[in-house]
Amino acid sequence: MKRKDFVLHLIGEVAHYILDADPMRMVISLHQEEDGMHLAIMDNIKRNDAELDAIRASLNNPRRPELAGYYGSMAGYDSLGEARLNLIGWQVKHADVYCNDSGTQIDLWLGGDRFDPASFTIPNKDGEK
Amino acid sequence: MRVNANTGRCALEKQERLLYVLMLIILVGFAVTGFLAEGFVPALRGVWELQAHPARLVNDFTLAASDGAALVNATLVALIGLVLIRINGVRLSGPTVAAVFTMFGFGLFGKTPLNILPIIVGVFISARMAGKQFREYIIIALFGTALGPLVSLLAVEIGLPTALQIPVAAVGGLAAGIMLPAVAIVMLRLHQGYNLYNIGLTTGFLALFAAAVIFGRGRQLPGGQVWNSDPSLLLRLLIPSVSVTLVVAGLIGGGLDALRSFRRILKLPGRLPSDFMDMDSIAGALINMGVMGLAMWGYVVAVGADLNGPVLGGIFTVIGFAAFGKHPRNVWPVLAGIMLAAVTFGHELSAPGVILAALFGTTLAPLAGEFGVPFGVIAGFLHLLIVLRSGAWHAGIGLYNNGFAGGLTATLLVAVIEWYRANSPSRKPAREGSIGSAGKDTT
Repeated sequence: MKRKDFVLHLIGEVAHYILDADPMRMVISLHQEEDGMHLAIMDNIKRNDAELDAIRASLNNPRRPELAGYYGSMAGYDSLGEARLNLIGWQVKHADVYCNDSGTQIDLWLGGDRFDPASFTIPNKDGEK
Repeated sequence: MRVNANTGRCALEKQERLLYVLMLIILVGFAVTGFLAEGFVPALRGVWELQAHPARLVNDFTLAASDGAALVNATLVALIGLVLIRINGVRLSGPTVAAVFTMFGFGLFGKTPLNILPIIVGVFISARMAGKQFREYIIIALFGTALGPLVSLLAVEIGLPTALQIPVAAVGGLAAGIMLPAVAIVMLRLHQGYNLYNIGLTTGFLALFAAAVIFGRGRQLPGGQVWNSDPSLLLRLLIPSVSVTLVVAGLIGGGLDALRSFRRILKLPGRLPSDFMDMDSIAGALINMGVMGLAMWGYVVAVGADLNGPVLGGIFTVIGFAAFGKHPRNVWPVLAGIMLAAVTFGHELSAPGVILAALFGTTLAPLAGEFGVPFGVIAGFLHLLIVLRSGAWHAGIGLYNNGFAGGLTATLLVAVIEWYRANSPSRKPAREGSIGSAGKDTT
């Protein structure tokens, strides 16, 4: 239940962000991996490099447990005003954002305290898978 | 890339260390000033007496004890916050700086080291119960000390037998602290981050129940406020000294970049959580803090209000939140609304309730920052009318009465704005064929 709530709130906030751009298509995919979950959100909006960098910066914020545990609870609940990806960024282990031919894809990697990036197909710092 | 990341982290850690040094200089400066003003032993004696003094709104410790004792007491309260931040490995940044300044401010009229400790321990227990680390709830614990008067009330005001005073007060404080995180998170969702003092709404809400239980048999306690109407020169000069220190520290730390950073901060809406030190720069935020301190001090002097413990507490809280949501541009519409309401309903701008509302009512600044000046003015106007009544509802047990009233005001406005935006026919239509337009077609 606890995990279900957490995932629902993250989906709510990121969907809020995607829908603000008025897309024709939004696909949300969630699946369990060895030591955590992978949430992928795709839309048909092609964003420029600056927009992608801004999304990456918000989602890959340094960890702020003091903010995540309290203000992070607003994720998925703040429908009035702009969506705030940093609320998500404090709570996920890693985020990838990229543009392809069909639009933008955001990959969020959710893991517990035992999270091991090696269990995921997360790119390393040099950009290799 | 890795080198750059490490360099950035090192620079951040260095800036944070300097921020710690600045905070310590300011806090130790307050304590030294207090001891010099009062004498070492009399100041400590005054601090001791304050631990057993009623703390509900409004008990001005500069009159209940003395200027020196109040300053030393406030420094101890703030140092407890700073030490907790440090030992829990939490970043000293916008929210934590706001918490330390707020704790100092309320140490001048309600918080004491003894009455805040049960609350903090209660939040710690709550974190353990939820399987979380204490640092995840530390912001709630630090601001939650607004319920300190509940502990004092149980210990010294309701006439319990001596043997029961401390145990009952401790249990009451612990129980309140345990409930704080659960309620704070729900309250945050009510106003969606448009009331900066969310813990004010939370503690006010809990204080309603506490007052109902404590006074359930119809018992009344002697009211009346302790209000220093003849503050000393020391108290009157405290804010300009701190504000100038903050501006100078910002300029030394950031030079002209700090001024540019300050200008960028002025464009932020300020909605919770807006950590100006993280979103822009520490130096720019320090300048904003200094400017806000001087502006609020100037307002108090201009309307002829008393620069006593509660008013200084209000200004210190504004200074702290100038690192976490407030700046001149989103604050003035709210202040204008409060002044308009005061004039409309025949209240003196320098009256205790009105001047405190003018300072603490800036909790609603994000409404002006996000939705514009008219909403800020309306929020300020409504806030004054509510806050002049809400203190009596909880018998002054929740020290952040303006946060409580501000939370109610923000919830009302957010609900109306959200409903209007969702249903307004003049709303910008979604793109033809998009997900948004499909949703509209079906309704």
